[in-house]
Amino acid sequence: MTATAIPAPTHDDVRGVVDEVWETLLGDAAPLMTRLVPARAPFDSAGVWSASVSVSGGWQGIVTVELTEYVAGALAATMLALPEGLEVVDADIADAVGELVNMVGGNVKSLMPGPSVLSLPSVAAGRAAFSSDASEVARVDVTWAEQPVRVCVHVVPAGAAR
Amino acid sequence: MKALIIDDSRAMRSILRRIVTALDFETEEAGHGQEALDKLRDGELPDVCLVDWNMPVMDGYTFITEVRSNPDWRGMTLMMVTTESEQRQIVRALAAGAHEYVIKPFTPDAIAEKLEMLGLVGGAA
Repeated sequence: MTATAIPAPTHDDVRGVVDEVWETLLGDAAPLMTRLVPARAPFDSAGVWSASVSVSGGWQGIVTVELTEYVAGALAATMLALPEGLEVVDADIADAVGELVNMVGGNVKSLMPGPSVLSLPSVAAGRAAFSSDASEVARVDVTWAEQPVRVCVHVVPAGAAR
Repeated sequence: MKALIIDDSRAMRSILRRIVTALDFETEEAGHGQEALDKLRDGELPDVCLVDWNMPVMDGYTFITEVRSNPDWRGMTLMMVTTESEQRQIVRALAAGAHEYVIKPFTPDAIAEKLEMLGLVGGAA
């Protein structure tokens, strides 16, 4: 009996989605730059916002984003068109980061076999935890305004509890 | 013209508000489908609803089916604005009564073009 490979997006697939979402939300004034990071290296920033969405159905996976506090704040300020100098509160950051992962996750889902359902986003001030049965299949490490940004896609074996 | 923006993300509502305000729409907002239905029952009907799909409390698909089950709201235009991009789901939303479908991320021009196609902006209104 042979094991059936779980379909997974490629790095280039995910990078394409991230570039498109990023440019739409933040413009192309400060482009995303590729960042070389050793495999399995943790996201190396003290102040972190993270978010995830899960996909269930024809394809089962989890999409996560990790951002520094600076990037998360800039994202929220831009999406909400806040006046310069106005403090960005955590609720606004959580909302913006949640919408970012929702967009990235929804577009990754569209590349995978369906039908499937996208969850509502979970957002954390800090690193997100997720099930240990999920395997990372694609990781995009980039910088924006010299700050690290990470997007990961994990697949979940069929039948695994979410 | 008046638009009701229905999305659980305040940031996304802000983006859509800026786009349609620039097209001379007045706007109202709701954070989910049930809140939007309550606004429709309580106030003046909008010309168009911009509806997200994945929302807590009541999702956009359910909102559309609820709106289409009320004959008094037949004249309202419904446009899905969502990350939900599976062909099957798009067909389902259009069959339920959505007039147009925009996939996130979108540009301001994409929203304007759809509203123009629907006769809600430009000379066609």
